[in-house]
Amino acid sequence: MNYTHFPVISVMGLFLGAFLVEVFGSKNKYIRNTIVLLITTCAAGLMLYLVKPVFIDGQIISYWMGNWEPVEGYAIGIGYEIDALGMFFVILTVLTIWLAAVYSIKYMEKDSHLGHYYTLFLMLSGSVLGLVCTGDIFNMFVMIEIMTFAAVALTAFRNKKGAHLEAAFKYLVVGCVGSGFTLAGIVLLYMQCHTLNMAQLASILHGNLTPVSVLALALMFTGFGVKSFIVPFHAPAADAYMSAPTSISMVFSGIVNKAGVYGMIRLLFVVFRVMDISSVQIMVVLFGVVTMFIGVTMALAQHDFKRLLAFHSISQIGYVITAVGICSMKGVVSGLFHAANHTLFKGLLFLCAGAVLYSTGTADLDKLGGLSKKMPKTTICFLIGAFSISGLPPFNGFASKWMIYQSLYDKAVTTGNFFYIFALVCAVVVSVMTLASFIKVTQAVFFGQTPAALKETHEVPFLMRLPMWIMSLLCVGCGIFYRFTGNNLLLPAMKSTFNITSYIDKMMGEGTAAASGIENITIHAETGFEYWEPVIWLVLFVTVLLAVFIVTLIGRRDRGKVLSTKEEADGKYATFFSGEKSSHSHVAGSDLFWGFKRNWKGYFNVMQKFHSGNVNDYSLMAVCCCALVIVFTYIVLL
Amino acid sequence: MSSFFQIIENIVKAMIFPGLLYATAGGLLLAGLDRKIIARMQRRVGPPVLQPTYDFLKLCGKETIVPHVANKPVFLAAPFVGYVSLVVMMLLIPIGGYSAFSGKADLIVILYLLTIPAVAMIVGGSASGSPFAGIGISREMVTMMAYELPLIIVFLSVAKLVGGDSMNFSLQDITAWQEQNGPVIFSLSMIPAAIAMLLIIPAEVGMQPFDVAEAETEICEGPLVEYSGFPLGMFKLGTAVRIFVMTSLFTSLFLGGITSGIHIGWTVCGVYVGDLLVRGLIHFAICAVITLLCMTFIHAITARLKIEHLFKFYWTVVAGLSLISLILVWIGV
Repeated sequence: MNYTHFPVISVMGLFLGAFLVEVFGSKNKYIRNTIVLLITTCAAGLMLYLVKPVFIDGQIISYWMGNWEPVEGYAIGIGYEIDALGMFFVILTVLTIWLAAVYSIKYMEKDSHLGHYYTLFLMLSGSVLGLVCTGDIFNMFVMIEIMTFAAVALTAFRNKKGAHLEAAFKYLVVGCVGSGFTLAGIVLLYMQCHTLNMAQLASILHGNLTPVSVLALALMFTGFGVKSFIVPFHAPAADAYMSAPTSISMVFSGIVNKAGVYGMIRLLFVVFRVMDISSVQIMVVLFGVVTMFIGVTMALAQHDFKRLLAFHSISQIGYVITAVGICSMKGVVSGLFHAANHTLFKGLLFLCAGAVLYSTGTADLDKLGGLSKKMPKTTICFLIGAFSISGLPPFNGFASKWMIYQSLYDKAVTTGNFFYIFALVCAVVVSVMTLASFIKVTQAVFFGQTPAALKETHEVPFLMRLPMWIMSLLCVGCGIFYRFTGNNLLLPAMKSTFNITSYIDKMMGEGTAAASGIENITIHAETGFEYWEPVIWLVLFVTVLLAVFIVTLIGRRDRGKVLSTKEEADGKYATFFSGEKSSHSHVAGSDLFWGFKRNWKGYFNVMQKFHSGNVNDYSLMAVCCCALVIVFTYIVLL
Repeated sequence: MSSFFQIIENIVKAMIFPGLLYATAGGLLLAGLDRKIIARMQRRVGPPVLQPTYDFLKLCGKETIVPHVANKPVFLAAPFVGYVSLVVMMLLIPIGGYSAFSGKADLIVILYLLTIPAVAMIVGGSASGSPFAGIGISREMVTMMAYELPLIIVFLSVAKLVGGDSMNFSLQDITAWQEQNGPVIFSLSMIPAAIAMLLIIPAEVGMQPFDVAEAETEICEGPLVEYSGFPLGMFKLGTAVRIFVMTSLFTSLFLGGITSGIHIGWTVCGVYVGDLLVRGLIHFAICAVITLLCMTFIHAITARLKIEHLFKFYWTVVAGLSLISLILVWIGV
């Protein structure tokens, strides 16, 4: 079967679906749901068919639109090109799109104008998929623009509150600043190299960096930074993730900011190949460390469920950027792994937040409480997600964070640079703070006592639980069998990040890479992560647990007597309340971690000024940061 | 047949030495010794050394009450998860140079596995729905944030000392290095780190003056306030085992290789049972001394800290001590 057409069919199919939904599906919900599910399933199926050729056979899929192949070594038409790196992000994208589509059906049914919602949703999906498939840098920019505008419109979709419009406005302004940087960078590159094809750009720019192309690099790096919401461009993300419908928040954190990360990797590793310069590595790692730290500390101060998750999203992207910035083989593997894991657990957590919002109508941590008795299945899914993101073994977040620590330490001892030790300590502290803030959510939302207003809460319908279960299973599976994921997905993706000769040759003809002096480096087959055996740990755990249970069962004589919880009237089963008659007293989200917050008061005051909520400040920060990056890259690269 | 023998051997490891039985018995004895010596220091007679064991047996016979606001499955599962994960930790730490499964986890894994019992206690307390537990888990979490920073720096300095220019987080390699070069604590640069680790242990275990999370006199044992009967016994057992795990970790990090010279050729089915017995006993004795040093003495002479002071103490004094070690090791003193 000729599968080279599949990427373009998937992308175009999603865009076509957007129009079909608007034309045929704006009145009838069955037609609408059928179109959306059919299109997303087809797109996912077609793209997943490419897993075998790309990952197992090691092929690179290329496709010239309208069969406009390069003429005399110059790429004219738009080319789609999917190597293992692109394919890795494609998998994340189609998985998230499909799950979000399934989740939306029930979650959004109470809203009006759903035709618009699905149109924008499919536009967003198609643009992200197009962005990771394309081999043309201007096409990438077009996809970024579609993505940004669909995302902005979706942020304001539930526009009953002014805050949602404000969030969309912030996203729009800061997003456009980012797009502007990217476009300026692309224009400069086109001026310099007379081509827009990334493979050709890579071959021209190799060992050939001029002041103009360095300026382009700095501008585009900042532009993609804005799209992936790293600090200091993160402020609109918190508002946007909070305001958008939760199915869209999941897409935002799962793939929209990953698209920015993908752009950065493509730019730094493939097009410009500047990552082997240690100052650039330090710059990227610094961005990552600052992002993860500010993200998590801001999350500790939040009392809205979705806003808290949004700040964690920023923080976890910090991990990914840090790991990628290390630029060792282990580093890139762990960064990509964390990107995938982040898509899984953060998507899961957003879906749980959506379930809570759907059932109770609020996401305020100070108004919720005791939902674990009303929504037990959501609670289990949430706990899996929370343990994963906090990096408890044997869940997936632990596996990737552990790899990141190993890579950072490795980098520190090979370069002798103490900065990486600092980054490692930061990463560990951020991880425990992540745990703290999810303990806060667990206590505030799921455990504790139920407020009177939430007595009638019910579990969410099956169609909403299905994506949550799939995500949970993947979280556990990726954690326990991390070697399987590592060998089959991450290693090929990492190889194609470092060895780009075949990426160039496939597009521009054999020998192009060699002619411009790009050579492959040797990649060791093993990743060097041998000291964690989740399976053995799990087997031991279950064995000991079984033994304890058996001893317990043998030892107990009063098996039937205990554990009665029914008699609510009986004071014996009320919670202890200093000897008084117990009344409703729930320790809510804002009440926790007083000792910590008090010690960090000065820091939080500074952060409060930093997050002014004023879009002028945020744009100014973006521009200033861009200026700094330009100055830094000029000093380092020229 | 050999694989069958291997399974039996692994089960023996998991259940008897250094797993379930050894860890539990050792932990209970350490907890008993701690109580006895404190009593003697305060001029009381004190309970018998086996008192924690009696307490556990007594709690097993008591009724288990689950509050009606609690989430029952989580409330009841948490003590088991905490206790069992501690026992499994014991298998991953080399005991007197003997590694049961210690090639299967490195220091960072240990650091994270150590959080599981604490999280089990937090989630269990949270699931009880009590406001006292709510305050307790908040404090427990802040304590955890407080000691995690110095702990990772201590681990990094040990790893740097042992690994040199290549990376080494493996506990097995750290033990092997100490058998060759003598215990880590003998190098001067590591003494601040050892002191820092000794100060971390009481907070990790929840001993005075760092027992803010459980503060009996103040918030009625915090996370444990609603627990009764067998689950409470499990938590108490978990705390006892945690003393043993933490002191064992200290031993294998800083005092490894002491028992490596001992050989008594008594074998059962090809396993050097005599060696294991002697090494296990010596290991326990060292752990007892450490318990005495870092928990009993400090407990006897101090009063409970406030949570914000605890946090400050760990992020300034203890983190400072461990950072001194790390910098000294890094510049190669």
